[in-house]
Amino acid sequence: MTATATSRIPFWRNVNVLKWAAQMVVVAIVVAIVIWLYGNYTENASRQNIPTSFDFLDNPASFQITGNSLSQSAPVRDAMVQGLLNTLRVSIVAIIAATVLGTVIGIGRLSTNWIVRKLAAAYVEAVRNIPLALFLTASVLVVVLGVFPQITDAWDLAGLAIVSNRGVAVAWYQGSGFGLLLILGLGVLAWYLVAKWRGRVADRTGNLPRSGLWGLGAFVVVVAVGWGVFGYSYTLPDVVGRGTVGGIRVDPSFFALFLALTVYTASHVAEIVRGSIQAVPRGQGEAADAVALSGFQRMWYIILPQAMRIAIPPIGNQYLNLIKNSSLGAAIGYYDLTLVAQTTVGNGSPAVPVFFLTMAVYICISLVVSALVNVANRRMMVVER
Amino acid sequence: MRPMTRRAIAPLVALALVGAACTSDDDSGSSDTAAPTDTEATEATEETTAPEETTPPDDTVEVVQSDESMLDAVQTAGVFRCGTRDDLPGFATLDDAGEHVGFDSDFCRVIAAAVLGDATAVEMVDLETPDRFTALQSGEVDALVRNTTWTATRDGSEGATFVQPNFYDGQGMMVASDSGFTSVTEMDGVIICVAQGTTSEGNAAGEAARLGLAWEVRPFEDVDLIQEAFVAGQCDGWSSDVSQLTGLQSVYPDGPDALTILPEVFSKEPLAPAVADGDTEWAQAVNWAILATIAAEELGITSENVDTFEGTDNINIQRFLGLTVEGEAVLDPGLGLPTDFAYQVVKQVGNYGEIFEEHLTPLGFARGLNAQWNDGGLMYAAPYR
Repeated sequence: MTATATSRIPFWRNVNVLKWAAQMVVVAIVVAIVIWLYGNYTENASRQNIPTSFDFLDNPASFQITGNSLSQSAPVRDAMVQGLLNTLRVSIVAIIAATVLGTVIGIGRLSTNWIVRKLAAAYVEAVRNIPLALFLTASVLVVVLGVFPQITDAWDLAGLAIVSNRGVAVAWYQGSGFGLLLILGLGVLAWYLVAKWRGRVADRTGNLPRSGLWGLGAFVVVVAVGWGVFGYSYTLPDVVGRGTVGGIRVDPSFFALFLALTVYTASHVAEIVRGSIQAVPRGQGEAADAVALSGFQRMWYIILPQAMRIAIPPIGNQYLNLIKNSSLGAAIGYYDLTLVAQTTVGNGSPAVPVFFLTMAVYICISLVVSALVNVANRRMMVVER
Repeated sequence: MRPMTRRAIAPLVALALVGAACTSDDDSGSSDTAAPTDTEATEATEETTAPEETTPPDDTVEVVQSDESMLDAVQTAGVFRCGTRDDLPGFATLDDAGEHVGFDSDFCRVIAAAVLGDATAVEMVDLETPDRFTALQSGEVDALVRNTTWTATRDGSEGATFVQPNFYDGQGMMVASDSGFTSVTEMDGVIICVAQGTTSEGNAAGEAARLGLAWEVRPFEDVDLIQEAFVAGQCDGWSSDVSQLTGLQSVYPDGPDALTILPEVFSKEPLAPAVADGDTEWAQAVNWAILATIAAEELGITSENVDTFEGTDNINIQRFLGLTVEGEAVLDPGLGLPTDFAYQVVKQVGNYGEIFEEHLTPLGFARGLNAQWNDGGLMYAAPYR
């Protein structure tokens, strides 16, 4: 009898049961809170006749999106898609620019040249410690409205670009976008094949591969030939009246947002790059010196490939931040997803479903980007170990 | 919490109402609904009819309202939260002491005076244009007096109920005086700047399509940013309600003469206070507060002379000011407002003409559509009887 009593713990003193029960209670509380909030929302919404469904997506948008041919009678759905595309557009361009600028500044912080080192340090310290929203306002008020000239005295950069506070118009191709993608794809393929071939040649002969230069040459040749074959031409921007015609026009709000995102994110990328370079074992650099590589070769072939492996996860975080920060563009009239959401709410769409949808889209973008970063990270890790 | 309690209370209220309906059948069985009330009120010689009249409307109000009205909530709280702004000259700006001044601000005070008997018992809540309806729906403000256009979609989908417009407006176009534009039809290939989340945004796009002109409609978060952009020459036209344009022109940094408002008016913009849907009693209270200013002007009652009507034998004025005869108000229409609410409105704030002349006439506004109905305008108050 005593044996059974000691061997069987009563369930209210069984740690496993208690743990399980505690977790269930927490889950139940969370679910109850969510249900209560949702019930509150639907009840309040129905009392005020506010629709809670997503039917609004089929209503006419009744506003126009700057720099887009979306008609006023197009459904809200189309406007939101355009907003999403605008968010992706500014994010991709800014991510590329911020990565390049940040890497250069990060390397600059480790330069042996005193002035370069100090300038890079000053950039990082100044920019990192100022709120992004301020940068954005400054890039509108100071750069676009303050520095850029009026359209009547626009800067004409050798006919290739026209800069005014109504936007930057740049020379651009004329022809089908699909053909251009094809040409660029072929060019990249040629770059890859030539680079590989140069690698094999280098292995056989012991000469420097210079695969980057060769690859770039192949890319240029393929693109130039394709351009001729497909019969592409180009348009140059020109000032006509109070605007520009020809070329492609970069909206001033796009430019301001791009500038602020790039400058701000680059300061964070620079710190990550600097830290990653410093995390590469010192022996690697010394070994490069020992085989008499030049300073550039040492950085390009030995240090950076190893540093980039370390840098990928934190830089991926910065990309996510940049995409989310692009929603600040709503404050300066850039029609990103957030501004489209705000505008459509102002035009009669119900706020809760609109913002729920918008948040869901941002979550999807972030999950996709972090998945891509994880894939890149895993591939690089395999190479390392 | 609230929906739960409401669910519990609803059956009780229903029971009580059934009971009330049964008993009231007996005493009001002989009298008809509207017609006798009218005739009795116009005669108003028998003081004894007044208390009898007040009971049936009280019952009907309870039948319509199954929930505690915002009117009671505001009167219990002792303060009226008014959704407004602080950046529109003439309508709502801040003075040196940080107090809201302007046409719309005064209408906030009119509502406070009517509901609470104290024009200073108002809490001004500044709202951004895109957020104003969300604030109203969520109960952050009790009413919106923020030069908001009454449209069908806002009535239907934004959960707003609009009351008597306090300003009849239309959208116009403002240009720089030295731009040479004299008519909207001359403006082709131009950039039009508007405030985001407003009806102006869609109206401008629609007008451009109607006239076959190429307008790029550029949204800005607030009027300060539009002004910066306009000064820098980023915009050719500044489109908004003519009332707004007039106010903004008056404070333009280069002086009002640097801007010209073009003659065309291309939309109807009835600017009306709004309350949340689903609370008829509160909507009626706010409506009558606005109507009281209009009626006072028609009756020739101003904040200066309102006290001189004490002994008047004009029955319309007796009813309107809630004058008492032997301790009983001549008329209590059962709005849930104090019987002397119109007196408080006129005494503490003023009649419609006084409010208009104080804030809008100095900026160069003519009465136009906002004159009294018997003076060629649209201001026509329903009879108070």
